[in-house]
Amino acid sequence: MPLVATPAVVLRTYRYSETSKVVRLATRECGVQSAIAKGALRPRSPFGAGLELLSEGVAQLYLRDGRELQTLAGFDVANLRRELALDLGRFAGATALAEIVLRMAPAASHPAAYDALVAGLDSLVATGIAAADAAGIRALWRLLAVLGFEPSLRGCVRDDTPVDADHPVTFSAAEGGVLCERCAAERPEAAQTRLAARDYRDLLVLNDPTAPLPALDAKHAAAHRRLVARFVRHHSGEADRFPALELWERHSWAPLSPPQPVAS
Amino acid sequence: MSAIDDLVTELARLPGIGSKTAQRLAFHLLKEPAEAAERLAQAIRRVRSQVMACGTCGNLADEDPCAICRDPRRDATLLCVVEEAKDVAAIERAGRYRGRYHVLGGRVSPLDGVGPEALRVGPLVERVRNGSGVREVIVATNPSMEGEVTATYLQQVLRPTGVRVTRIARGLPVGGDLEYADGVTIAQALAARREMGEE
Repeated sequence: MPLVATPAVVLRTYRYSETSKVVRLATRECGVQSAIAKGALRPRSPFGAGLELLSEGVAQLYLRDGRELQTLAGFDVANLRRELALDLGRFAGATALAEIVLRMAPAASHPAAYDALVAGLDSLVATGIAAADAAGIRALWRLLAVLGFEPSLRGCVRDDTPVDADHPVTFSAAEGGVLCERCAAERPEAAQTRLAARDYRDLLVLNDPTAPLPALDAKHAAAHRRLVARFVRHHSGEADRFPALELWERHSWAPLSPPQPVAS
Repeated sequence: MSAIDDLVTELARLPGIGSKTAQRLAFHLLKEPAEAAERLAQAIRRVRSQVMACGTCGNLADEDPCAICRDPRRDATLLCVVEEAKDVAAIERAGRYRGRYHVLGGRVSPLDGVGPEALRVGPLVERVRNGSGVREVIVATNPSMEGEVTATYLQQVLRPTGVRVTRIARGLPVGGDLEYADGVTIAQALAARREMGEE
């Protein structure tokens, strides 16, 4: 059984027996893997605090082809990302990213998806609370793009007619992008969303990783969250299996001011 | 399905019990005197029919309010917030805490579809606000990511009440060994260091 060392992010952890954990990992070289971390809950466990949700490090895995559950020999943590716990909005966005990798990424190696996940988590850590929504939305669109679901935004998804960014536009989650006026009028569908010119321009910027993040107010941020969540649900074919995405989309918690350090 | 298969299936549904363990338990029960099995069945029936969540703190108890909420010797100005009722039992085992509790009924966990609205956060804010004299809320959620984000959320919703909000310390376990501690735990322990001589 070969021992493989690969960069990995913890996507999910489950208690297993009194002392062990089962973890689901996004790995750079081996895709999404489930592994048992024996003794991870013991006080002197070599895994220590590393196997926390969203932490990143180098996983040492005993891999056997055809096995659903691999064995995790070690996890050298490099980045715990505890900052995400300081804000529910950023944390919810980060878990939505993890959920999309769990549900939509292939089991085989996909370094681009791994890199997009890490970049998305890093941007959520680095971004202030005010821009957390925009960072989360961009990270989700980028992840979807590398997973093969990049929306067509510059030209009509049906006939490639260039779409004018100064006018309202129709976005079809089902067809995977924007529609020109003629196509939108020709065959209207339930999964279509009408975007104001400003929202369309913001959508273009959100899908351009080189551009600065747009300033989204609460109403527009909510609209963009709904749009990307709708897109995910449509293309995954598993509308009811995205609880983290739904929580992030609804933002059901009360609007809160930035946190203060808690006295210990 | 035979009676044995039925029992094995039911036992295997319990957390941490696989089919082999379930089978072993079932055959163990068959080997035991009939009264032992009857006592177990009765204990399960009793716990299901008698145990309820305390209307004040959410702890599991035979009576409402629970013994801790009824006890006048407990410090009503101190409130310790925990995720689950089993955490109350863990803190009580330590025998050092003399305040009261508030059980959230879980922690924020988006991947499980659990947001703050699914927890007993509203009743906590009500308890602090309604003039019950609470001066300090100790947030004792687990030091996991979900526990930390839950703690942050509680801090934010409690801030307008003006109550002091503290978080349980993180660091090295008593009887632990630096050599075996991971870097994150050592860093947390160093950050939470205090003057020697403080209790």
